[in-house]
Amino acid sequence: MRFSRVQLKNWKNFAQCDVRIAGRVFLVGPNASGKSNFLDAFRFLRDLASDGGGFSEAVRRRRGVGAIRCLAARQEPEVEIRVTAETRGPGSQWQYLLAFNQNKARRRPEIIREKVLLNGKTLLERPTDTDRKDPELLKQTNLEQTGTNKDFRELVSFLASIQYLHIVPQLVRDPDRSVGRPNDHFGGDFLVKIERTPKARQEASLRKIKDALSIAVPKLAEIKLEPDSRGTQHLLGKYEHWRPQGAWQNEEQFSDGTLRLMGLLWVSMETGGPLLLEEPELSLHSEIVRYLPQMFARVQRRTGRQFLISTHSPDLLSDEGIALDEVLLLRPGGKGTEVTPASEFEEIPALLSGGSTLADAIVPKTRPDHAEQIALFGDK
Amino acid sequence: MSDTSGVVISAAVEGIVDEAVIRRLIAHAGAASDAVYGRQGKRHLRQRILGYNEAARRTPWVVLVDLDNDNCAPPLRDAWIPVPPAPGLCFRVAVREVEAWLIADADGLSQFLHVARTRVPRDPEALVDPKNAMVNLARASRLWDLREDMVPHQHSGREVGRAYSSRLIEFASSSWSPEVGSRHSDSLRRAIECLQRLVENAG
Repeated sequence: MRFSRVQLKNWKNFAQCDVRIAGRVFLVGPNASGKSNFLDAFRFLRDLASDGGGFSEAVRRRRGVGAIRCLAARQEPEVEIRVTAETRGPGSQWQYLLAFNQNKARRRPEIIREKVLLNGKTLLERPTDTDRKDPELLKQTNLEQTGTNKDFRELVSFLASIQYLHIVPQLVRDPDRSVGRPNDHFGGDFLVKIERTPKARQEASLRKIKDALSIAVPKLAEIKLEPDSRGTQHLLGKYEHWRPQGAWQNEEQFSDGTLRLMGLLWVSMETGGPLLLEEPELSLHSEIVRYLPQMFARVQRRTGRQFLISTHSPDLLSDEGIALDEVLLLRPGGKGTEVTPASEFEEIPALLSGGSTLADAIVPKTRPDHAEQIALFGDK
Repeated sequence: MSDTSGVVISAAVEGIVDEAVIRRLIAHAGAASDAVYGRQGKRHLRQRILGYNEAARRTPWVVLVDLDNDNCAPPLRDAWIPVPPAPGLCFRVAVREVEAWLIADADGLSQFLHVARTRVPRDPEALVDPKNAMVNLARASRLWDLREDMVPHQHSGREVGRAYSSRLIEFASSSWSPEVGSRHSDSLRRAIECLQRLVENAG
């Protein structure tokens, strides 16, 4: 299953947004235009549906409704997220809608509307009479309750399968990383995840990663996972240096680029729900970055996995296979950030036919106003 | 053939598929590839061509460009290099795009794409739009994976599919035979001969 459309109202930077979502999406825009906040709408849905999550917790993690609501909103209108997800081929179409706001009298976030539709047929519509009689129920969505979600568990597990990845090498290297951070999207539990993979698959995956990594890191001859005397797992890489036997290094000595690329390769081998990637180009050589879109395309073709990727990289966007409807351009304006697919700009096909790359055609549109003023800061 | 000559050749090309092709041709000529420059389109190459020409006075270089819709190769070279060309520069023009050189090995390509041999155009240099011909060949592939990678989706706004280049790079670096191709593409044959001369003169 994958998302095919998202509609946001008053969600963070987005006062109003309604876009179709391709199987592979590149989000481009200036700093602070809302690329991460766009991805966060999907993380919010994941939080609603996953264990240890739920509506109140998902809002709390984002510091309350006030912090979620779009700054461009004048009064204090409700926040609404609506998504459409479809299975491959002529399968089923799910829709999920959630509107919520802060209830001032009860001083807590409350659900105003919740809807689930399957192929246009309504399976759930809240508030129900029971909700009206017992407002306590408005603290929870029906996604998070096993008793009430039995007609749409397929949708619940799809939302729970959304994965976010933004590996921070410093956290992977942190010796305390394995303590209390399950499912850490910053990579704190990256090594634990590898450890929990069944042995045969773990070894096969590490071997594949080594083969791919050796393109970027030619001296890398072998990688493996091994515990130290305290039982903490370490990722070891054997480098063929001047020593005839090669030298082993652990993750603390790996470069940022090596760790980030390992993380990318690892998730690319996992099957699972939509994968949200934050600037995969960071720390990587432009030559490697240039081939990432094709790698994602091939993974997606093989596994059906959806990719939503934020990026600033012209190298990544210069790939000639990126379809115009795969690129969403985020542009801040007086009424919040507008999201426009590159396919809606009439001049882009003309620029491409004249020999421009997609990066040539799109990056100038993402340029921050007055970027040149940054140079003057040097005199302050 | 591998780099038995000890000669190292630098290259400048239009894109990443051209890079795979030129690396293969350099190896075929018995030399090793040094860095490959450009790869940001034709205009980018043209702006830098005089620098490549100067560099070729010191080390061997090959520059590969597509003829595209120009009429023929010699005027294109004169327009690009209005100064005396360096003896170490091999300036080659693919008629009309590098895809035609890959199509020129019909057996290899039909096996790689899983299409009938008879579908592969017999005269690749007569193709007005070789890239489009390649995409159409892939469209006829018996393998869904290949079609999915190489053929653009409807409304994609692009000429090629999402993993078109990496598929062609796979072919160009492995099963493509420059030898067979050179029998059906004159511009490819000349490029191979030029590289061989470059190796002989440098060796």
